[in-house]
Amino acid sequence: MAGASLIERLRDPSETALGVLLLAPAFLLLALIVVYPIGTLIFNSFFDLRLSGGSGMKFVGLENYLLVLEDADFWNATWNTVLITLITVPGALVAGLGLALLANLPFRRQWPVRLALLLPWALPLAFAGLIFAWFFHTEYGVVNDVVRRLGFGSEPTMWLLRPGWAFAAICLTIVWKTSSFMALILLAGLQMIPRSLYEAAQVDGATRWQQFWQITIPMLMPSIIVALIFRTITALQTFDIPYTMTKGGPGNATETLAMLIHKTTIDYLDVGYGSTLAVFMFVLSLAVTTVYLRRIGRQA
Amino acid sequence: MTLPRGRPLTLLAAAIVVVNGFFPAVWILLTSLKSEAELVSKPITWWPRDPTLANYVQAFTDQPLLRYLGNSLAVAVLSTILSLVVAALAAYAIARLNLRHRQLILTCIVASSMFPLVTLLVPIFQTMRSLGLLNTYTALVLPYTVLNLPVCTLVLVSFFQSIPRDLENAAMIDGCTRLGALWRVVVPLAAPGVFTAGILAFVNAWDEFLLALSLNASASMRTLPVGITLYQGEFTFPWPIISAALVVAIVPVAVLIAVFQERVVGGLTQGGLKG
Repeated sequence: MAGASLIERLRDPSETALGVLLLAPAFLLLALIVVYPIGTLIFNSFFDLRLSGGSGMKFVGLENYLLVLEDADFWNATWNTVLITLITVPGALVAGLGLALLANLPFRRQWPVRLALLLPWALPLAFAGLIFAWFFHTEYGVVNDVVRRLGFGSEPTMWLLRPGWAFAAICLTIVWKTSSFMALILLAGLQMIPRSLYEAAQVDGATRWQQFWQITIPMLMPSIIVALIFRTITALQTFDIPYTMTKGGPGNATETLAMLIHKTTIDYLDVGYGSTLAVFMFVLSLAVTTVYLRRIGRQA
Repeated sequence: MTLPRGRPLTLLAAAIVVVNGFFPAVWILLTSLKSEAELVSKPITWWPRDPTLANYVQAFTDQPLLRYLGNSLAVAVLSTILSLVVAALAAYAIARLNLRHRQLILTCIVASSMFPLVTLLVPIFQTMRSLGLLNTYTALVLPYTVLNLPVCTLVLVSFFQSIPRDLENAAMIDGCTRLGALWRVVVPLAAPGVFTAGILAFVNAWDEFLLALSLNASASMRTLPVGITLYQGEFTFPWPIISAALVVAIVPVAVLIAVFQERVVGGLTQGGLKG
């Protein structure tokens, strides 16, 4: 290869050179959109930096961090985010498992069921929020209509105007929207369980209930864990559905951490403080991801 | 688990899944066909008494819905193409080349999707603002490309790995260069994988809300989710028009996934289960 010209080498590069060449665009983009921003984020969190005034940047050390810890809005938003995660992740898992078990039955036509699982997945979160906000409309919503038809409550519930009800409506919407992706992942897992296991269990006299807990759940565990990780990471970032359903209201009863960061940075243009909030969010996600990965590591 | 095989029970199960999946979309379709007067009459009607298309006409004339549709399409298509090209190159290197730390490289790319997007929002907003890129397609196309990189790379790596190496070797023995073999043999065979990854990327970009809301908020640059959410009525939130706009926005993606459902499911579970 000593005498090979540059063109020759470009036409048939060595493995390593080709590898670097092929991976370069991906890593360049990651550097630009992920690594560099994370660096800027941490840097900015030590400054008083507002884009609204012309005051420029002022180094304030850890002041932003201390302010965050004393900020009632921050704790409110963090609590809401954690609560939404704790409710909707198990909720979506149970609903998704139910849907997957139903969808796994031997149907003559598969496509209506499959499409029914795909449609909520493909629907933008913002649209799900808008549609369910209409469902939960006090006067003209279908939910209150069904409640009335069933004969409960003479007064219509003001779903999105009362803190507790608004929170419940948001959680329900998130569970509906996310359970279908869960179901698709779990359905794929169900279909990989060999029939022979169930046949053997039947020969041994195991009931359906025993088969479910002794075969289905253990065999499904890898899929469940993957689905849970994905769901938890996205639940911590909840933004679209509360934003389109209540804008965080009433008051800030349904404001999540992502909504607080968005408001601080985009609406108030307070980049310094917004960055500090985002650092806290980053640490929270990192902590959760690490715990999950540890547990998987222990199981493997 | 062998659940009851009886027809009525199976049909009931199917009905539950189908109603759960379709009801919101069907309800919004019914709402969009009702007149404003019918919509605010109580008790509410389920089936439109007097179906009308007036809401659709208004949805297109009141606000630049066509413009939103165009914006969404442009951003989704451009970012899909870009992430496919970048992911295909990276996936080929990971699946085929004799590189050290291949698993580490793949983990790096996938781990980038673990970063909460909202934490990246602050610096990305700042950077785009200082570069004067707010309210341009570029502001969304670049982040969306990165957003889709992990799932595209995962799907494509597993597709490339399923193509027998011998085919490539045979092409090289017959005088193809390495890149020639990649272009003439691997790319055509990987077309189904590229297509699957493309649909997933398209739907992801089509659905994104937070960045679109923050970076492209000016009326002429809004994507569909942002445009419809920020619809302003004169007095109240205009539900009839919103419903019509939602139907217009949902139909293209619904058709896309209905036609290619098997591929979408395959891609999702591949991208998901290996993540």
